[in-house]
Amino acid sequence: IQLEMPPAPSAAAGSCALSLGSRFLFGCRVTAAHRFAASPVQPPSPLHQQPHLQPCRQGRRWLRPELRGVYKPRLSPEAMKEFWRLSGIGPDHSRAKAADQQAEVPPEIKRLYQEALPPIVSQDYRDPIVESLHRAEMMRRRRVINIPEFHVGSILAVSVMDKHAPNKVNRFVGLCILRRHTGLFTTFTLRNMVDQVCVQIEYELYSPSIVSIQLLKLERRLDDNLLYLMDAPHSHCTIPFDMVPEPYSRNDPVPVNRERVRLNPPPWMCKWHLHGYQGIDLEHLYSYLSDKDVAKAIEFSKAYKRYDLLDQYLNRVPVPDADYAFKDIFIQHQELLQHQQQQQQSSKKSEVISKLTGTA
Amino acid sequence: APALSSQLIVAMATAPHTWLRLVPSCRSYSKATRLHKIDYPWKDEPKPHWVRQFEARRVDADLTPENRDWLRQWRLQRVRDAVASSSEAAAAASPLKEPPAARPLWTPRVSQRCGLVGIKLGILPMWYRNGQKVHTTVVQIPDQRVLRWVPPEDLGNYASLREMRPYRLNQSFLPRWLTQQRWGLQLVGAVPADPANFTAQWCGIFKAAGLPPMRKISRFLVSPDASLQPGACLGLHHFRVGDCVDVVARTVNRGFQGVMERHLMEGGPAAHGSTKFHRKMGSAAGGGGPIYRGKRMPGVMGNRFRAARSLPVLRVNTKHRLLFIKGFTPGPPHSYCQIMDSWMLDVRRSLDANPPPMPTYFAEDAPEGGYPEDVYHPDLLPYDQPLELPD
Repeated sequence: IQLEMPPAPSAAAGSCALSLGSRFLFGCRVTAAHRFAASPVQPPSPLHQQPHLQPCRQGRRWLRPELRGVYKPRLSPEAMKEFWRLSGIGPDHSRAKAADQQAEVPPEIKRLYQEALPPIVSQDYRDPIVESLHRAEMMRRRRVINIPEFHVGSILAVSVMDKHAPNKVNRFVGLCILRRHTGLFTTFTLRNMVDQVCVQIEYELYSPSIVSIQLLKLERRLDDNLLYLMDAPHSHCTIPFDMVPEPYSRNDPVPVNRERVRLNPPPWMCKWHLHGYQGIDLEHLYSYLSDKDVAKAIEFSKAYKRYDLLDQYLNRVPVPDADYAFKDIFIQHQELLQHQQQQQQSSKKSEVISKLTGTA
Repeated sequence: APALSSQLIVAMATAPHTWLRLVPSCRSYSKATRLHKIDYPWKDEPKPHWVRQFEARRVDADLTPENRDWLRQWRLQRVRDAVASSSEAAAAASPLKEPPAARPLWTPRVSQRCGLVGIKLGILPMWYRNGQKVHTTVVQIPDQRVLRWVPPEDLGNYASLREMRPYRLNQSFLPRWLTQQRWGLQLVGAVPADPANFTAQWCGIFKAAGLPPMRKISRFLVSPDASLQPGACLGLHHFRVGDCVDVVARTVNRGFQGVMERHLMEGGPAAHGSTKFHRKMGSAAGGGGPIYRGKRMPGVMGNRFRAARSLPVLRVNTKHRLLFIKGFTPGPPHSYCQIMDSWMLDVRRSLDANPPPMPTYFAEDAPEGGYPEDVYHPDLLPYDQPLELPD
């Protein structure tokens, strides 16, 4: 392929690749014809008026057709600052978001529907229709079964349908150590000791074979997952099956259990010192490690990650998407409450009618 | 909340095609899908490849931005009017048009209907009434119209076959659909869009059918008794809940990959003195002579047309025009796919007892009261119903 020098860029050109000189053209690798022959995107012709190559060392970066010839005006510094403030990342943002974004959805919605957030994946794999379907089906399932608010560190009792069980129902009580995935794929793992054997069961939150989910203790831990309990003494995850549920109030903040677990001596299933767990007794942990490992662990825990903008961007849900999801869920949550009220009224009616007919 | 109706992909805004994507692959895909006799990357070129689809967006310096926007809205309105006038609703409502010709009957072992162009959106899990989990692929059916019908006798004169590559003459066999001439080609256009996006040559393809230009042209092998004339509308209810379909799409493009990834070759030992031989092909088996054609070597992996066969349609959503197809289909999200009646023999025999709407769905086939928003397969459990297992 012969790349000819395109004409000088016009004032309204969106890309500034050519204004940086011709060295980028000669530095770019020539693309082979067969790569583009098989793809629906046509390679731009040499007489292309719009600059199509973006400046980068590796070359082979074609500007998308819908961005060619599009004039993007420069943002004012105030607009940029507002963008960074609302983005949720960077040194300028504040943890308390703008009032206009937060006021609409009450905080209990974010606690109840943590799995309504869209998944943190590349934008190419996300679709708004599929996400709205997930949310709608989640709320439909919640009309059949009550799914309480729970976090990693809470104690739950789950009853699932089991045709081989005596009452056709299998009940398991355990500590929630893991909660992952989003939408209808959400799963949570309960851990407990059964006959001196550690048992971990992963349940799909929206599976119809779950008969009931009962919250016995609402609690939060310092970590997102408690997988290190696999290398901890069994006393930490021994929960009696006849545990009485502890009352809790939805308005109070979730109590945080700040206990620090002392792990068993190594070998461990995983290098627990390299994942930034706060719920492990670090002094006790480091006593098992060599100086080199301790230095590595301390370096890992340094607080430089808040300056890594790309890490924050890639590992967070975009704020507008999260707000849209919670607003959508909030509307359906209100409909769910109405539905539950109607059901209660109709059940009361049927009770009264059955009493009357019984006496009659 | 913002309205979701704008998500109906009519491509009035920009709707990107599949882009080259580099995705780390898993080694668990089956070897059978890759054991094809000599096939070449250019075999899977999208047709018509002899017509340039896109061109540079013309920057008209004589127009003011306001006039440019007004002209764009005028063009889009003309496209919308053309789409609305050729839709199912218009065909059903218009009293001036002649009633359609006698609809053909489903003939066993002969009839093969046209298919639909779909856009794969994602995956939604569902459960059967026996408690078993099933993953469903959500496919959206955009606006599409029939472009052209090429009867079997004219296949030899068809442009894409006339511009045959020289290597096709070297091949010892031609495809059966070309030699048997049982089926013709039905061209279907999908996703109408702004004519300014395309070249005049591309728009000319649609002009003969009186349709606005569209982003995607697909062709289906259709029997003559199920052929459709240009301008006919293909809709969501062409497939019913319970019909088994084949989904043909381009697989995910995994980029340039080595032989271990692409052909599951063994490579070499990681240690034990291995010198610069860890992920290589090794011998090319020439024996002193040339390397034989079709030797497995590194190259671009994926981005090939593959078919997922005999997948039942489990659910139909009329609000967003979605088909929920059991299982997984090739391709990344937001890629085009072809959906057609399955070619598997057991599915064809089952269709003889329960024939689908021939040649396609028309408004007169609608049940009384119309379709509900969601139509479920009887074996599927909707989420608002509790699971009841038999004792």
